[in-house]
Parts: sequence; C-alpha cells; structure tokens
Amino acid sequence: MEKNFLEHGLNFNRRRFLSKLSLGLGSVALGSLLIPDLFTSAMDEAGLPPGIPDFAPKAKRVIYLFQNGAPSQLESFDYKPKLREMMGQELPASVRAGQRLTGMTANQASFPLVGSFYDFKQYGQSRAWISDLFPHTAKVVDDICIIRSMHTEAINHDPALTFFQTGAQQGNRPSMGAWLSYGLGSENKNLPAFTVLLSRGKGNGQGVYSKLWTNGFLDSTHQGVQFSAGEDPVLYLKDPDGLNRFERRKMLDKLAEMNSISYKEFGDPEINAKVQQYEMAYRMQTAVPEITDVSKEPDDIIKMYGSDCLVPGTFSANCLLARKLSENGVRFVQLYHQGWDQHGNLPNEMAGQAKDVDQASAALITDLKQRGLLDETLVIWGGEFGRTNYSQGAMTKENYGRDHHPRCFSIWMAGGGIKPGVYGETDEFGYNVIKDPVHVHDFQATVLHQLGLNHEKLIFKHLGRRYRLTDVSGKVIKDIIA
Amino acid sequence: MRLTLKSFAENLLVAADVFIVFLLIAGSSVIVPMWLMPIGRMHPLLLHFPIVLLMLAMVLEYFRFKSIYTQEHLYQSFASGLLLTSVVFSAITVIMGLFLSKESAYGGSLLNWHKWTGVSVVFLGSLIYWCRNALWYKASAAKTGAVLLTLVLIITGHYGATLTHGDNFVLEPVSKPKAIPKVPIEQAMVFENVILPIFTQKCLSCHNLEKAKGGLVLTDAQSVIKGGKTGPLYVPGNAQMSLLLQRIHLPMDEKKHMPPKDEAQLTNDEMDILKFWVQQNAELKKKVLELADTDSLRILAATYLTPIEAIIEEEEDYDFSAANEEDVKKLNNNYRSVSPLAKNSPALSVTIFNKGSFKLSVLKELEPIRKQIISLNLSGMPVSDEYLKQISEFINLRKLNLNFTMVKGGGLKYLKKLASLRALSLSGTDVTFKFVNEYTANSTIKRLILWETKLNPAEIKQLQKQYIKILIVGGFDGIGQFSSKLNPPKLNVESSLFKQAFNLELKHVIKGVEIRYTLDGSDPDSLKAMLYKNPIPVSTNIVLKIRSYKKGWISSDMIEFPLYKSSYKPDSISNVLLPEENLNGGRAPALIDAQFGTVNIFQGRWAGYIKNNMETLMLFKQPVLVQSVGLNAIRHLENNALLPQVVEVWGGKDSRHLKLLGTNHPTAAKKGDQPLIVTMEIQFKPQLLSCIKLVAKTIKKLPQWHPGKGNPPVLFVDEILIN
Repeated sequence: MEKNFLEHGLNFNRRRFLSKLSLGLGSVALGSLLIPDLFTSAMDEAGLPPGIPDFAPKAKRVIYLFQNGAPSQLESFDYKPKLREMMGQELPASVRAGQRLTGMTANQASFPLVGSFYDFKQYGQSRAWISDLFPHTAKVVDDICIIRSMHTEAINHDPALTFFQTGAQQGNRPSMGAWLSYGLGSENKNLPAFTVLLSRGKGNGQGVYSKLWTNGFLDSTHQGVQFSAGEDPVLYLKDPDGLNRFERRKMLDKLAEMNSISYKEFGDPEINAKVQQYEMAYRMQTAVPEITDVSKEPDDIIKMYGSDCLVPGTFSANCLLARKLSENGVRFVQLYHQGWDQHGNLPNEMAGQAKDVDQASAALITDLKQRGLLDETLVIWGGEFGRTNYSQGAMTKENYGRDHHPRCFSIWMAGGGIKPGVYGETDEFGYNVIKDPVHVHDFQATVLHQLGLNHEKLIFKHLGRRYRLTDVSGKVIKDIIA
Repeated sequence: MRLTLKSFAENLLVAADVFIVFLLIAGSSVIVPMWLMPIGRMHPLLLHFPIVLLMLAMVLEYFRFKSIYTQEHLYQSFASGLLLTSVVFSAITVIMGLFLSKESAYGGSLLNWHKWTGVSVVFLGSLIYWCRNALWYKASAAKTGAVLLTLVLIITGHYGATLTHGDNFVLEPVSKPKAIPKVPIEQAMVFENVILPIFTQKCLSCHNLEKAKGGLVLTDAQSVIKGGKTGPLYVPGNAQMSLLLQRIHLPMDEKKHMPPKDEAQLTNDEMDILKFWVQQNAELKKKVLELADTDSLRILAATYLTPIEAIIEEEEDYDFSAANEEDVKKLNNNYRSVSPLAKNSPALSVTIFNKGSFKLSVLKELEPIRKQIISLNLSGMPVSDEYLKQISEFINLRKLNLNFTMVKGGGLKYLKKLASLRALSLSGTDVTFKFVNEYTANSTIKRLILWETKLNPAEIKQLQKQYIKILIVGGFDGIGQFSSKLNPPKLNVESSLFKQAFNLELKHVIKGVEIRYTLDGSDPDSLKAMLYKNPIPVSTNIVLKIRSYKKGWISSDMIEFPLYKSSYKPDSISNVLLPEENLNGGRAPALIDAQFGTVNIFQGRWAGYIKNNMETLMLFKQPVLVQSVGLNAIRHLENNALLPQVVEVWGGKDSRHLKLLGTNHPTAAKKGDQPLIVTMEIQFKPQLLSCIKLVAKTIKKLPQWHPGKGNPPVLFVDEILIN
C-alpha cells in the first residue's frame, strides 16, 4: 500500500517535470512576451494566497450592511416625482423595453406606475434626495456616496444574492469576504477574518443561508463565521463542562501532532486548514467574550445606536457588534437584515424595515468617524436588486407592492476612501440607468480596489481554470474614489 | 555651374541675414500679410533640415584642420558647401519662424529665448562661413566655433520643442504626474482651490508664463484678471458676455474652440463651475463654505475637493528602505500583526491585540523595523504616557491610534519627534486640554481625534478655532438628533400560557431603567403606574401592560402581554376539518403547543382557515373538570384576517355523545380596526368531560368596505385554553 502511494507521488512528479521541461520553458518564454506581467501575477502556479495588497489600500476593513430582500430604491434614495404625477398610468412599453418579469407579475394584465408614498427632501453638500423614511441616514449624507445606478443580472433573490456575494449566480464560488480573507489574510489572528451577523425585520422576508458566506473552492479557513444572538455567540466555542483550558490545550497539541502525521502521508491542504481552525478557536475562546460584551459601551453610544443595540439579534445590536469586530481587526463583517421583500403592503412594511436599520446605520458611520476609523473602514449598505416602478397586485395610494427589478437600484458606500456624493442617474420613470451604470462586478472590483487588491489579479486556480470574484468583467469606478 | 550656384547661395545668405536684422529691428511694427502666413507656418516643417545639416557641417568643421584631411580636396569642398547650404537653410527657417511668431498664438519668455537663440545660430553660422578662410582661423577657432554653434543649436531646438509639444514632452510618460495639492473642503477657497486647478489641468500647457498663447496666462489671479490679447477673460456677473465661456462653448470644429480639439476637454461639470463662478462676479477671495448650502457652485465644487480622510491616507513614496523580511516574519505573532502596506512598499503597519499580554517589550521588540512602521494601532492596550517615548522611536509614523489607552497626555511631548505624523487618535483616553494644546502647537498633525476625552466641548471649540488647518474631531455633537427611545423590557416567559401560578420577572437591557406596569388594562404612566421591583405573582388570566422609563430617554412603546391559564392539555387532538396547508409555507401549527402567534402573522404560529370552518376534537384519557374553553384568534384587516362569526363548544364523554355547552359571538370588524389578538372564552357550568369539540365558523366574504371585498377572509387561530 505504502509503495503504491510512493510510486504515485513519483509518477506525478516525473510527468510534471517532463511536461514542464518540454512545453514549459518554451511557453513561459512566449508567454512573457505576450503577457508582460505574467510573472508579476499575484499568485503563483501553486495557488498560494498573496496575503499582501497589490497597492497601498485605502480601506483596511469592510462592514457590509446587506439589506436582504431588496429595499425599494423608489422609497429610499432614487427620487422620482414623475411617478407620483403618473400614478396609475400604464408603464410605457418603450421604457420597459422587453425587460423580463418574475413569475409573480408575469401574468399581471396591467402595470400601473406608482409613486412613493413617502416624501423626499434634499440634504447635505451633495443635495442628495432622501426619503423621509431615512431621517438619520440623511444626517450623515455628507459622509456617504449614494450610487443610484446599480444594476444586476438576476431577477430572483437567491441568484441575485449569490451573484452579489460571489460574482456568479450559481453557488459554488467563494464569497466576497472569503476572497478578501484569502487576498489580505487576517489582521487579528485571534478572530476569523470574515464574520457574519444576521437579523430579521418584521417585513416579508427571504432566507439567508451559509452558501452566501462560503469559502467555495478556497481553503476553508476563509469561510465566514456566523456570530449568533444567543448566549453562545459562536456555537461550540465554549469548553464542555469539566474540561479546563489546560486540558484543552493538551488535547489540541495531541490532535495537531496526529494531523501533521496525516498531512505528511496524504498532503491534503485541508488538514492544515483544520489545524489552524482549531488553534484559532482556542484563541477565540478568550477574544470573543471580550468583544461581544457591550456592557462597557457609554450611554451616548447606546443612545446613538438606539436602545435595541443591547438586545442581541437586532440589526442595531449587530451594527454595534460589527463596529467592535471591525475595531478588533476583522476584515469583513457581513450583516444581513432580512425582511425587505415588499411585494405588497409596501408603505407599511418598508416603514418598519427602515426604522430597524436607519438609526443604527447612521450611528455606525458616526461612531467610526469619531474614533478616527471611518477612513480605513468601508461601510456598504444595500440590497440585491431594486423594485419595479409599477405596482404588483392591487394598488391604492396608501397601499401597493413592488416586484423585483434588476435594471436599477440604489446602494450607498461610506468611508474607506470613497468620495461622498451622489453617483449615477436613472430615467424619470426610475426604470433604466441613463448615466454612469455600475454593474455588480464593477461594484466588487471597486471594493477590492479600495482594499488594495487588483480584481484581475486576485485569482485562484480551480478545476483547471482561474477564477476571480469579478468573473471576466468589472471595472473599478474611479469617479467615486477620493 | 557650381560656381554660380555657390555665389547665388552666398548672396542669398547675405540678403537673408540683412532681412533678419530688419525683422528684428522693426519688431512689432511689421505686420505679416495673410498670404505669407502659410510660409511662417512651414517653420516647424523645415527646421529639421538645417539642424541635421548644421550638425554634420560642424562635425566636419571640427576636424577640418586635422592633418589627414587638410589635403583631401573632397573633404574641404564638401565641408564648405555643406556649411553654406545649412546656414542658408537655417536663415530661411529663422525668417519663417519670425513670421510665425507674429501670429497672436505665441508669446511669452519661451518664445523670446527660442527666437534669440535661433537668430544666434544663423549669425554664428554666417560668421563661421565668412571667416573660415581667413588667416587667423586655425584649428582652435574652428573647434570652438563648432562646439559653440552645436550647443546653441541644441538649446534652440529644445526651446522650440517645448513651445510646440509642451514641457517635459519626452519624459512625460515615465515621470509622475504633478500632483495638485489636495485641500479639504473646510479650508478650500473658490478661486484658488476650485477654479485655478481647472485652469492648471486643462489650460496651462499653452497659457503658461513661458508660452502665453494668445497673450493669456492662467497661472494666478493677477494674470487671470488681466486676460489676453483678445480682451479680458470674463465680465463679472455676465457669463454670456464672457470670452472664457464663449470659447469653451464653441462647437468642437470651430477653430477658436478651447481647449483645442486634440487637447483634453473640459467636462460638463467643469464648464458649469466656470459659469457659476463668473455669474457670481468671479470672486477671488471667497471660501467654498461661505457659499450657501444650496448654492450650485458649492455643490459642484464639493465634488472636486478631497475629504480630509483621503489626505491622511494619501499615498507617497517613502524614502526609507524595506525591512528585513525575516524580521517582519519573526515579529508577527498571534497578538502582534506586522504587515506590509502593499507589495513593493517598504512601509509597514502594526496592530497589537490582547491587552492581557501587552507590555513595553512588545513595542521594544519592534526596534529592527522602527524606520518602516508608518501606522501603529494600539487601540485598547494598556499604553501609559511613558510608552510614548518608545513610540517616538518609530520616526516615520504617519498614523497612531491610541484610542482607549491609559495615556493621560504627559507623554505627548515625545511625539513631537515624529515629524511625519498626520493622524493621531486619542478617543476614550484621559488626555487634558493643556497637554493636547501643547502638543498641537507646531505639530505636523492633520487630524486629531479627541472624542470621549477630558476635554470639554468649549475646549475642543477653542482648539478648532486655533488650529484651523487641523481636523479636530471632538465627537458627535448631535446625539440629540438621534431618537433615544427606550425599548420595552424583557420578560422571563415566552409563552402567554401557564398551567400553574408563577412569578413573572421583568428585565431591561439598559441600567437604571424604571419599568412601570399595570394589570387593570390601563396605560402604565410614569408616575402612578406600579414600579417594578420584585417579581409579579401570576395566578389567573391577566393582561399586563408595561412601559420603560429613564431620564434623558424617550419612554418605550407600551407592550401588552396577556397571560392565560390553561390547566389541561388534551391527550390527543384531531382536526375534523383541516386548516389551509400553504398559508405559512408549511404545515399548520398545533393548537395546544403553547406557541402564541404575534401581530406578525407570517411567523408560522397561526393556523389559518379559509374554505373550511375550524372544527377540532380533543380527547382526555381521564375525565377532567372543565368550566371554560377559550380560543385565541387574531383580527388583522391588512392581511384579510377576521375573527369567526361564532365559536361553539361541544362536550361529552365521547365524540358520539356531545352537547352544545356554549357559544361566543365576537363583535364584527369595522373599517380601520387595528390588529388585535383576542381570547374568545366560553364559560359554562363545571362538569367532567372526556371529549371536547370546538367549532369556529368563518365569515364567508370580506365586507364591502374592505379593499379585498368579495374574497373570503382568513381565520387565524393559535391556541385553545381549557380550564
């Protein structure tokens, strides 16, 4: 048996050596002529993580406040008075231009335009229009960059979410946080580089699932670690009763010893990943309780985030926790707030959802700013797609719904070297982007760029081809970079 | 033939020389006629010939007296002929150049230099030609002349090239673009920091002091006011009549369109900025922030200015060498992260974690990389003032984070040594005004974070006033703008159902909150309602209303929490008529699981009936003494949920011997009713029962006033209470 393994190894090496020698040298020479930066590539053949930014980063960390379910841009950041004027009139076919519909409205006989139930006002240096649902966000408008020209390819939640997080609609690729962990490594070795926090509003919701924070084909140390709201923020982290830290240490040492034997035998990199995870978990046992303890936060901070920030599992508590994690060197803190899928009863539900997130989102920015951390922390707020400018189902002025709309939606970004202001524009119907479109891949390329990574160089070879977060497209939106 | 050609050329040279002298003396009084202009414009076309020819001629001239060449007839005559040809050529080129210089497009010192060096080339060349056969003209004279002429020629060529292609044309692709100094909006001036940068980027390659095309120079306020040959640049307050705006708005094909067709064009925003600026009287001494909030110029200008954060993070070329890679690797451990800023960058950024293991040696060990550290994050570490002395060894530090450390300020004086420090964060420390003020005076700092320190708002204001170039963050002063509403307290029970008497406990996440409650259905106010101190004993059905209060906070929303006693749980329960399967995306929940639904009806706790009436049979193995049966249901108009028409309770010893024990007719819903959860209770004479049947008849159609009129409503029930 052992002989077989040995032979297999030799075989592999011989074949590899020969192919390298004959084809290899020639193709390397040719390759370097055709692609000048072939040898400056971020990663070598073996697929080792680069770990160091390609260029000096503007941001060191990301906090992504994902609004799961897709908040309506028309009741938040994309002001369209025309829709109120044309309330109840049919969406012109020339505007829709053959846009596919979801199964939920495909059979709808008419598409009556519907304007926002909520009023908009202009705020700040950029005179950005923000709806009355987001009064606190309006106060920090001079710190945020509102992008009104986002567009995506998917029209349903799961593919759209997966697309946003992994750059592909099918879920087998690493998510953004995993890519960053892979590309930049961890800042604080006592905490995972990528953490996930979930909360849920009262609105109609869509599920979230661990595929959204998967490491995909990357090493499993890059997987997102979910912090939950209960007594044990990280499940199975506590030592079981009767086991003290000393014994735990002894156990881990023995385990590592056995694992290293096993690694020598099989060479599976996942074995080493496992050892690292055990070790980190051991250190997390002391680091995590310190971070999740909010009892020392001053009264002003509690007021700023809202008293809900002391109730674990709320968006507000997650924002506060996100700040603490980020402050302690977690590269990517991913929040999901569920409940933004307003197919019906939009004015009511959206008010509740906005109330859940508005104050805490603004507080997070303010808080980071007063600690001098906003310049190195990129905060992102937004959903997976937009919502239609026409009503789904029965429509009254006070009650209507909006279906999924991939052609345009609004998100905002703050800090991390992003220039505050308003970017992009949609037509007066709020249906198509007419200026400075930002595709999801462009957004991802920009996020990576702010962290000092070239999205075309952050690659991983898997199943014979090289993969990127931005697949084969994406360009950095230079205009929004300070 | 050759002779005649030579004498013709010599004559031509004399004539050209004289003509050049004439042009120079007559200067500006000569006006070049239209038809001669094309000749002038051929100057750049022709000039390359005399340069090459002259250079070659000078090489020959240099070696002319070398002994092996003195007897070479061909060499001598070729040298002489070549010199004559090239000097004639250069004279003609100079004349063309002088014609071209009369056109208004050119001006400035650069042109003057080019003109005079060019003329010197011709006269120096002529001089050499006329003197080269003189007796005194020897090898040394020939060599000096050749070298001198070549030098002047090169200088002339350089000035000419700069005139045509702009400064640094050759090295431009490899040299770094000249950075425009970034200015935060707080300090920005409208003219200096918004208007002038536009000129610098888009106009200055021609309208600079040296070239001054059209006599216009756009380098400073004085010259901008002066304008060019065609007239002043703008009429304050009148954009339409201003030359500047006329020129930039001309169609691209128009010759006078500015910037010229092949140059980088102004963006729409830049054109707007110039327009608004002229319209507002082209102010030269106004700050951007002095403009009104809604002013278009200010809004546009803001997008052109850099936030101070970006200035702090600005990239730069570091003048120190990279650290030893081994050292960096060695210094990295679980509690100290040392990482390069970027690939190929010598700069390092250091963060220390875990206050338990932090001591001075953690910093001292960084000695081998002390020059490379540009960012040090010690947030939350027990760093005291003495440690700052060690930190001041990191001489290239740009950014220092001392948030929530034990620094009191005494050690700040050490930081004066750090000449490159840009950002210092001292949030959550006990630093005082005295020390901060002492440090800030003559420091290089650009941003100072002082939130949650011993400095009071007045002191921070004073600092902000005193050091206007520094961004001083004293924390967010708009806490009042955030709604500081309390959340309701937490209860120690989740279910509204209880079997036996128990003590209800209330807790609030925020310290010092007063929890007030009532049990009589009235609203708990802040004065009279019972103040929660000890657990509340509960033994019967009650409705608890609770609200939390704290000084400085807005009181919480009231929560209403009903508590139901349900003494018996049937041993089996079966639905005679089935609830809707898919209302909640799954199976309907059980009605005796003590799981109460809330107003958010999509949480899966309500069982819904649309087509069927609710009809449920409950069996007890041992007969129980029952005196009331209750059914919990919700009315929620938005979700089409109505209460039943009627609830009936049947009882007996088995399912074949049931009799009606009582009914309950809930009040019909009215338009505008708020969501409500009710227990429809039916009381009867206490009796022993083994079998109870509960029937709730649904309403068949939503009423006329309801938006969904005509459709069937849903009956949502969640729990049956048997006492």
